[in-house]
Amino acid sequence: MHAIVDSLAMIGISYVMGFLFYGFYRQFNARVQRRWGPSLWQNFFDNMKFLLKTETLTHGPMFFLGPMIIAAGAITTVLFVPFLKDSDWLQGFSEHGNLILIIYLLVVGPLGNALAVGSSGNPFGVMGVTRGLTRLMGLEVPFFLGLALVMLQHETTSVHAIMAAQDGLAQWNLFTNPIAFIVILLPFIASQNASPFDVVGAPVEVYAGPRVEFGGRLLGLLMTQNMMMTVAKLVLVVDLFMGGAGNVPILILKAFSLFLLTASISLVFPRLKTEQTVDFFWKVPLGLGVLGVIATVWLPWGA
Amino acid sequence: MSLMIKILFLAVSLSPALTLSTWGESLAWPLFGGIELLFDLNPISAFFLLLLALGAPLVALPMLRGAPDRPAYALYALLLLGMQLLLLAGDFIGFFVGWEIMTWSSYLLLLRSSRTDLEGAQSYILFNLASAFLLLAGILVFHSLTGDFRIQAIDQLGGPEPLALAVLFGLAFLIKVGTLPLHLWVPRAYDQAPDIFSAFLSALMSKMGVYGLILLATLFPEALSGLLGRLLNGPAAGYILAWIGVITSIVATFKAISQEDMKRLLAYSSIAQVGYITTAIGVGSSLAIGGALFQALVHTLVKLLLFITVAGIILQTGRRRFNDLGHLIDRMPISFLAVLIGIIGLAGMPPLPGFAAKYLIFVSLIDARWLLLLAAMLLSSTAAFIYCYKLIYAPFLGHANSPEAKTATEAPWPYLVPQVILMGLLVALGIFPGFGIQFLIDPVLTALGLAPIGAPSWGELATPYGGYDGVVLMTVFGTAFALVTGGFFLLRGRMRRAGSPYDLSYAGEVPTADTPLHYGAGMGRELRRIPLIGWILLHTTTGFLTGLTRQSLAAAGLLGGFYGRNPQTWILLAVLLFALALTLVTLTGGAL
Repeated sequence: MHAIVDSLAMIGISYVMGFLFYGFYRQFNARVQRRWGPSLWQNFFDNMKFLLKTETLTHGPMFFLGPMIIAAGAITTVLFVPFLKDSDWLQGFSEHGNLILIIYLLVVGPLGNALAVGSSGNPFGVMGVTRGLTRLMGLEVPFFLGLALVMLQHETTSVHAIMAAQDGLAQWNLFTNPIAFIVILLPFIASQNASPFDVVGAPVEVYAGPRVEFGGRLLGLLMTQNMMMTVAKLVLVVDLFMGGAGNVPILILKAFSLFLLTASISLVFPRLKTEQTVDFFWKVPLGLGVLGVIATVWLPWGA
Repeated sequence: MSLMIKILFLAVSLSPALTLSTWGESLAWPLFGGIELLFDLNPISAFFLLLLALGAPLVALPMLRGAPDRPAYALYALLLLGMQLLLLAGDFIGFFVGWEIMTWSSYLLLLRSSRTDLEGAQSYILFNLASAFLLLAGILVFHSLTGDFRIQAIDQLGGPEPLALAVLFGLAFLIKVGTLPLHLWVPRAYDQAPDIFSAFLSALMSKMGVYGLILLATLFPEALSGLLGRLLNGPAAGYILAWIGVITSIVATFKAISQEDMKRLLAYSSIAQVGYITTAIGVGSSLAIGGALFQALVHTLVKLLLFITVAGIILQTGRRRFNDLGHLIDRMPISFLAVLIGIIGLAGMPPLPGFAAKYLIFVSLIDARWLLLLAAMLLSSTAAFIYCYKLIYAPFLGHANSPEAKTATEAPWPYLVPQVILMGLLVALGIFPGFGIQFLIDPVLTALGLAPIGAPSWGELATPYGGYDGVVLMTVFGTAFALVTGGFFLLRGRMRRAGSPYDLSYAGEVPTADTPLHYGAGMGRELRRIPLIGWILLHTTTGFLTGLTRQSLAAAGLLGGFYGRNPQTWILLAVLLFALALTLVTLTGGAL
């Protein structure tokens, strides 16, 4: 019973946080560009509109199952990320998972959806999937290396243990292991599909993106899972680098400040091509990561 | 008569299983001069015999289809005999005999394919003979060190001999697992071999090289640490081996992405996957060897599944290139499911067991503090998603691109039965990774003198760095999937199927049957624009080896230059060399 209520609460919180954060992002973006922008609730309205469409076009069974897999993957991911520290609530099934599992779970859904894109028979959709997988190949290496530095620092892959080790502000990994945070920051933005790494599925790129064939309720489901997944990733970084949160308001505050940081970076850079993205990730963040490894592991004061 | 032969053949293919279940006492067979041939089943060989026992009948089943191919049956039986001999051998004589029988019988089987050309056959036999001769040389060095042929750890570690032994044995086994740049025979052989036999080559014969590498680690105390000392938290000799493995994986992965033929893609992916095993053996800790064994197990199951399925597709369509296939999902649904399960295992995605293997290897790299290796391995393991997607998209999704692909039917049952069994095994092992650890991996680790990993329950994979629960994971994902799908149908509105496959958002145009809509072979071509990948794909191993030859010739030419026509020059050189030697002796105090 506890597990069911807890799971529903986590799904609900991640959804509400998701549409509010995205609503804020659209406002923020508009104000930077000197527009008024839509309301804070606009993403919720958009999502409901899609989910309540009367007609949905499919291209066969696999096309239908793809969005189901990606949504199930998003829910599983949310349930394996602990939302709160030292609490019985909002834990989901995170006791049975670990950081490496979460990183892989983040990819399960998009790969399932890639099958749906393929079965639609639209070559542009598949092109979008290839772009997405290429970007993933670029971002995952520095992202994982940064997280590996944290896992090495605490000698565990358990998110709970890493969170528990950060008692006060001075013990936040953001301050004890700043290199790791800098290394993961830009790949993290890319994994959120945010500018400047958003060539996969960016508004003007829809025709060469994975979502080109989806419409109606299926598109609504894709939007829902995207908002939940965004929150799951934000909470994960809060857990790993900002000491986690004791209660929901603090969680929202920390996640929001992180979101504000990434959004501010996103807003001021022009979009990169896929191959530029990959090349950038393999030069700058990965290069930094390698320096971090040399500094913390290889040199005598490390180890 | 032909039915009798088929039943007999199937019985022979069960012989590894029979050996595994009924083996009792060890056998000793005296040879000349007090040397004995020893045969015994220890936990290490039992693990690899189990792989053989699983794979042999599943490969034999599709071979039963049609008129009996008697020479192939006989050679297959001989091959199984050779591999069992190799695995049971307690001394290097039996090991070598088994190795040779395996090499020759597989070579003759390879020749039975109509697609094998001279180049493919020659590279197969030359590389494998080189491997056998290196093994023989290693065995002689081993004998000179221990005075015995029995497989045992060597006590004496000083001097150059142990290093020579490690290099000779290492090269022999690395050729067998297809490590760069010794892999040239692998893609050719896997591509040209009879379609079903490719499954055996990739899934089982490459594991004999892995078995050899693990044997090599047992020859040296503390898993290679005794050889060159330690680096960070692992053996320094293993660090070199691990980088060899990782570079192999990275290069092979990008080569796999650029392939346009299903079997060649799988061949390169085999090289990459076995590269992970090499890396893990290099790390040498209990977690790493556990991961290597798990990866060996998963790779065996996955490659059997994928090669058998691909053989089925080739049988039904006669096409093997990605360009010529497409949209088989409706016509070959079981094959589609098989490839789907296969690529999830290959990519190491949870909840299938490929993830458990990856997890163990990643954690062992963190434990050894070899983070740069970890990043490099992650590069290859993420890039693998692209070829996995290509492998399922091009044959099964998109648009049918040839008349054969438009009319194909599901593969015959001798192909489907092994597929279903293998899918079941993979899913079961994914839900119960702890079972695999407890009953398959831990006995081997104990026999190797390493700490067993242990499992609190069948569903749990537990390491000192944390673990995960396969049962919970599968339940959560399954429940979420059921709820989302159920909830979706509860919403109002109806679903409508697109009128035709050309009913697409196609940049404002209406595509027709003539519009090229299949993205099969082109996928991944744009990766060349990324500098690193472009560089890797531009350079071939053949080119590397040719360059090496050219450099050697140039060096030889330089050396030959000293032997000019004028004798006074080399007399001068000899005097100078002598003077240099004298100076060195004086400087080092006569110690030279």
